[in-house]
Amino acid sequence: MKNISLYIDQGSWLNKMHPYTKLLYILTAIMIPLTGGKLWLFPVMIVSSLLLLASGKILKRALPLVAFSFTLIVVIFLIQGLFNHNNETVLFSVGIITFYKEGTLFATRIGCNILNMLLSFGIFVLTTSPQEFVDELEKSGFSPKFGYVINSVFQILPQMMATKDTITDAQRSRGMETEGNLLVRTKAFLPLISPVVMSSLINTRERAIALDVRGFGRKQKKTWLYDRPKYKWDPVIRVILVVLMIITIVWRVL
Amino acid sequence: MAIITMENLKYKYPGADHLALNGITLSIEKGEFIGIVGQNGAGKSTLCQAMIGLVPQFYHGAYGGSVKIKERLAEKVPVQELCEDVGLIFQNPFNQLSGARDTVYGEVAYGLQNLGIRREEMKARIEKVLKQLNIWQYRDRNPFDLSGGQMQRVAIASILVMQPEVIILDEPTSQLDPEGTEEVFRVVDQLSRTGKTIIMVEQKLEKMAKYCDRLILMQDGKVVDFDTPEKIFARDDLNEMGIQPPAFVRISKQMGLVNADGTYPVTLESTVALFEQQSCDTDRIRGVRPEGKRTARTQRSEALFQMEDVSFSYQKHVPVLEHLHLSLDQRTTAIIGQNGAGKTTLVRLLKGLLKPVSGTVYFGQEDISKKTVAMLAGKVGYVFQNPDDQIFKYNVLDEVMFGPLNIGMNQEEAKEKALKALEMMGLSGKEKENPYDLEMYERKMVAIASVVAMNTDVVILDEPTIAQDYPGKKRIGEMIERLSGAGKLVVAILHDMDFVAENFERVIVMAHGTILADGTAEEVFAGDAVLKEARLQKPYMTQLIERFAGR
Repeated sequence: MKNISLYIDQGSWLNKMHPYTKLLYILTAIMIPLTGGKLWLFPVMIVSSLLLLASGKILKRALPLVAFSFTLIVVIFLIQGLFNHNNETVLFSVGIITFYKEGTLFATRIGCNILNMLLSFGIFVLTTSPQEFVDELEKSGFSPKFGYVINSVFQILPQMMATKDTITDAQRSRGMETEGNLLVRTKAFLPLISPVVMSSLINTRERAIALDVRGFGRKQKKTWLYDRPKYKWDPVIRVILVVLMIITIVWRVL
Repeated sequence: MAIITMENLKYKYPGADHLALNGITLSIEKGEFIGIVGQNGAGKSTLCQAMIGLVPQFYHGAYGGSVKIKERLAEKVPVQELCEDVGLIFQNPFNQLSGARDTVYGEVAYGLQNLGIRREEMKARIEKVLKQLNIWQYRDRNPFDLSGGQMQRVAIASILVMQPEVIILDEPTSQLDPEGTEEVFRVVDQLSRTGKTIIMVEQKLEKMAKYCDRLILMQDGKVVDFDTPEKIFARDDLNEMGIQPPAFVRISKQMGLVNADGTYPVTLESTVALFEQQSCDTDRIRGVRPEGKRTARTQRSEALFQMEDVSFSYQKHVPVLEHLHLSLDQRTTAIIGQNGAGKTTLVRLLKGLLKPVSGTVYFGQEDISKKTVAMLAGKVGYVFQNPDDQIFKYNVLDEVMFGPLNIGMNQEEAKEKALKALEMMGLSGKEKENPYDLEMYERKMVAIASVVAMNTDVVILDEPTIAQDYPGKKRIGEMIERLSGAGKLVVAILHDMDFVAENFERVIVMAHGTILADGTAEEVFAGDAVLKEARLQKPYMTQLIERFAGR
């Protein structure tokens, strides 16, 4: 089955770390540069995320995330560098196109912010099993229904994708062309999408029954198959992250 | 002591104009193995759903009378609570998986977690049930990656592990191969012996006759009879109710073998015992042939398909088919084998949906790898296993006309072919209905009609008899004969060995991606070693003849 989760178990210290600690890291990474207000804090956090990714043996897997954000960042640079309403100081000109310092600085800040967020989220997404995260949320008192929605997305969405392939084959077998120009593909849309939606609805009804008959939604405390092995550095890391945030706030206020 | 009691139970689905359950009163004792039999639409599944409270709690509608499980009213106790006492397993294994766990072990634990069972007990129960169902080796696999049969065993394990006192199974083996089916019946029988109450809906009446203590016979939402299999299958009005008695009853009737109480033997063992007791002449059995049995053509016509040294794999280094040589002529051909033997892969190669990794598939003189699937559509028709994979129109006629129009027929011709195909599949009068309002067995017929209407030279059917009762199977048998009579090649993948023996001239046995045997039904079903290797069972008629012949 195709897996849509980005999680990879490398057995690294990041895999062992509690999901909440990693969430706290995301908060810290985003908050420090924003609260501190200095541009140099962004590269500090970006470099720290890159180092963490490398230590977790997942730097290579994070590169697509960076590539994805790159297009967005380039567009922001173009728009802000050229058209920001505070633009006054010319930075450089290429023919009739002039880039301004104010807009470019603003774009740098936004670009760094995006990259910083993506990399810190990347640490979480690439090293945390969705199921493990949901289990931890439920143990902390989140609704099992909410947890089910998250979990089932990772299991059922790939199934829907596989169903779509079978449906495409079934319609091709009845002489429908599914490949070709826009008109051909538009004509193929309804015969492909209707069975996907309808079979999903039929499946959803049956799955709801299947969940009911397995006690889902009982007003009773659930039990768990496993306890997450405690990672001894979790409390230390959490304290460090909180202290860093406090220092930044104090530094900013003073 | 009665564990389930029903008093004048009546139920009507929302928007329906007739009662799905009509005045049902019965009681089921603890530890009984009860079968529910009847034509499609008789109300069997609805009755199961009423026993676990899904009717009326989930489906709503008009409800009257009562169902009590251990003195608790099924309509009042939430299903999530009632599931401690009653477990439900249904037809489609895929939809029974929670979708929230990525290993078989975790999936089976899911219900126990909801029930709040202690961890150590959970682990002990899971190990026991996974071993009992022979799926312990798959415990770390993703349940969605398993075959249909394996997935169904996971679904059964997920309910068994919750240890309900009553287990309801609604056609749990319809998608399983013969060995998988027997395995499910054996497990359920063992459970019944440990004091569990079993209620099972099945179309495989020979198995029901063998394992069930009593049968509930249903028609039009009513319980017509509730008695032992011998008494039920001795009734003269079964054909009128769309039920074909088990093979042994039919044979005994033809041979005049009658028990002292006027009933007929319903199992192989009891038939043989009665035969010996009455000192019958063994030649009498040889004169008995299954109804509608076709005579196999021996003279081969020109090959329509030719597979030369074909190999195929979905993943590198995991071959599914290896160096296959096969020629298909106009004889009706059944492909049989265990789940995962490579049957569907083979027919998908014939249809051009898959391209061989090596070797060539010829249709006539043409190499089909050079054609698109749509280009082949006018020549080779393929009915998928699940009708919901293709249905998308809002009325049956438009759905059936979709294929003919795609392959270049004009409106009049497409309509004419569609109406003819619908008539052949017993759907005349349903042209304007929305296919999604039809039952599963009818949707399957719509899917078959939509391919038959395309008037192709070849019709490939993937498991056409799933969810069909006796009249449905009979109709499919007649359709195969008519198409074959019109000079078309019909190829079908099947798990129903009696249907194969009665309707096909040629039988191909597959196992592990290779062809183990190829011949007439008589030749193939005489090969004990091949059938053992392919893990298949003989048709009941063959089993009986062999027992009488002292083999």
